[in-house]
Amino acid sequence: MFRHNSLRYAVLILLAVAALFQAFTAEYFGLEILTEILVLAILVLALDIVAGFAGMVSLCHGALMGVGAYAYALLSTKAGVAPPVAMAGAVALTGVAGWVIGAVCSRSHGIYFIMATLAFGQMAYSYVFEAPVFGGDDGLGGIERLDLSLIGLDLNDSRTFAVFCLAVLGAVYGASVLILRSGLGRSLSGVMHNEQRMRALGLTVWRVKADVFGLSGMIAGLAGVLAAQHIMFISPGLLSWTVSGEALVVVILGGLGTLVGPLVGAAAFVVLKHELSAVTTYWHLVVGVILIAVVMSRANGIFGWIEARWGARIDRRVADATRKQQPGEVVNDA
Amino acid sequence: MAHDLGFWTLQALNALQLSMLLFLLSIGLTVIFGLMHFVNLAHGSLYALGAYFAASLAAVGGYWMGFFLAPVAVAGVGVLLYSGLIKRMRKSGPMAQVLVTFGLIFALLDLTRIFWGDLALAIEVPALLEGRLAFLGVEYPTYRLFIIGLGLAIFAALAFVLSRTQIGAMIRAGVDNDAMAACLGINVERLFFIVFCFGCALAGLAGAVAAPLLSVTPDMGLQILIPTLIVIVIGGLGSLKGAIAGSLIYGFVQTFGAVLAPQLASVLIYALLAAVLVIKPVGLFPAKG
Repeated sequence: MFRHNSLRYAVLILLAVAALFQAFTAEYFGLEILTEILVLAILVLALDIVAGFAGMVSLCHGALMGVGAYAYALLSTKAGVAPPVAMAGAVALTGVAGWVIGAVCSRSHGIYFIMATLAFGQMAYSYVFEAPVFGGDDGLGGIERLDLSLIGLDLNDSRTFAVFCLAVLGAVYGASVLILRSGLGRSLSGVMHNEQRMRALGLTVWRVKADVFGLSGMIAGLAGVLAAQHIMFISPGLLSWTVSGEALVVVILGGLGTLVGPLVGAAAFVVLKHELSAVTTYWHLVVGVILIAVVMSRANGIFGWIEARWGARIDRRVADATRKQQPGEVVNDA
Repeated sequence: MAHDLGFWTLQALNALQLSMLLFLLSIGLTVIFGLMHFVNLAHGSLYALGAYFAASLAAVGGYWMGFFLAPVAVAGVGVLLYSGLIKRMRKSGPMAQVLVTFGLIFALLDLTRIFWGDLALAIEVPALLEGRLAFLGVEYPTYRLFIIGLGLAIFAALAFVLSRTQIGAMIRAGVDNDAMAACLGINVERLFFIVFCFGCALAGLAGAVAAPLLSVTPDMGLQILIPTLIVIVIGGLGSLKGAIAGSLIYGFVQTFGAVLAPQLASVLIYALLAAVLVIKPVGLFPAKG
C-alpha cells in the first residue's frame, strides 16, 4: 500500500512551492513550460498507478490521453456541448476505454501485457489518423478552454491556466492516494505480489486490474483534456506510442511506484528537454544515454535513489543510537 | 478489378514481399527473445543501421558490397551492444529491458542523424535485378521477387539448421529450458552471444535489402518496429514457425486490407492482434507448450 513518509511530504511541499513560485513570477514562456510539466505530471501519475502499484507496464497511456483530448475536442467543438460537460464526458469515455483495455489485457503478463497495450494504443492512433471526423493528420483546432468567469477566473490567461492545472494536479494526486489506499488499491498490491494467492482467496483478479486500469484511464483522459485546452489544437501525434514510451521514461526517471517520483521526473524531463533542445538538436541522444544510465544503475529513478539514500541514513542513525545505548544498558545491569 | 487473376497475383506478391522483409526482422528478434528472454526494442534501429551501412557501402563499392558487408557491420554493432549493455541486463525484468532498449532507440536514432544527416538517402537497385519479370499475367519488379526468394531461402536454411544440426538442437534446448541445457553441458552464454549477433546480422540484412525500396531515413527503424513486434506476438515468441506464420498473416492482412477495405486497413491488424491475445495470450505457435 502507498504510504507517505516525511521525505515524500517534504518533496511534495517543495514541488508545490516551486510550481506556485514559477506560476506567479514567470513570463509567458516559463508559464508554457510549467503547464507542460503539470499536464505531463497528471499523465505519469496515471501511469504510475498501474505500472508502479500493479506491475502493469502500459504502452497505451499516451493513446488514452489522446482519446481524452479528442473526445473533449469533438464534444465541445463539433457537438456543441458545454465545456464542463464535455470534460466530464471525455474523462468518462476514457475511463471506459481504459476499463475495456484493462479487462482484455488482464490475462497477459510481462512483455505480452506491454505488447497488448501497445496494440490497443496503436489501434486508437491509426483510427484517429485515418478517420475524417478527427481531421486526419491535420488535427483539430479551435478548442476552447473551460469558462470559469462565474468565479472570476479567466483561463485564457496563461498564468491563471497554469494555476488551474496545478490545482487539478493536486486533486489528481489526492485521488490517486485515495485509490491506492482504498480496498481496491489494497487488493491491487496483493495481486501484484502474488496473483495466485489472491485468486485462491476468492478475488476476481481481472476485475481488480480492469477497475484500476479504468481509473488510471480516467486520469490519463483528464491529462488529455487539459493538453487539448492548453495548446487549443490537437493532432494524432498525441496518441503515438512514442508518447506512451516517453511517459514510461518519465516514470522511471522519477521513481516507479512512489507517486512523488513521477512528479519529479516530469519536471526534470520537460526542463531537460527544453534546455537540451536549446543547445543541441540531438537531445534524444542525451535523454537516451541518461535513461540507460538510470536503468542500469538499478536505482529506482532520481527520487527512488534519494529515498534509498535517505532510508540508509535513517537506518545508520538508528544503528548508531542503539550502539550508544548498549554500553549504558550493560552498566545498568552491572 | 477484383475478378482479375492478375490483380490477385500482384497483391499476393506484394503481401509476400512485405512478409519476407518482416520475417527477416522478426526471426532475429523472436529467437533472441525465446532464448534469452530479452526484449530488444532497438532491433528496428539495427535494421535502420543496416540500411545506412548498405547505402554508404553501396556508394563506395556498389550494391553487392553493401548487401554482404552491412550485415557484418551490424553484427559488429551487436557485439558492442551485447558486451556493453545486454549481458548486464539479461537477468532484469522485462520493464528494465524495455527501458534500456528504449533509451538505445533514442541514442541510435540521433547517432544515425549525426553521422548521415536528416536527409533521406537513396540507393540504386543493382543492374542484375533491374527491370520486371512477366508471369501469370502480371509484370513484377525483379528486385521484389529477389526479396521474396531471399526470405524463403533464409527460412529454408534456418529451418534446416534449427531442426537438423547440432547447433540447432542446442538452440532449441536453450529455448525450451536454458537451465537444463546448461546442465547438459551446453555453453548457453556463448550460444546466446552467437544467436544475438546472428539476429543483429539478419536485421542488418533486412535493412540492406529494404534500402532500395524505401528511402533510408533515421526513423525507418521506428516505423518497422511495431509491425515486427506484432508479427512475433501473433506468431508466438521464440519459434521459427511463429515468425513465418506471423509474418505471412501480417503481410497478407495488411496488403489485402489496404486494397479491399481501405478505411479499416490500419485498424484491422491491431484488432487481429488484440483478438489473438485474448484467445491465445501467448501467440499462435509459442516455442514452449
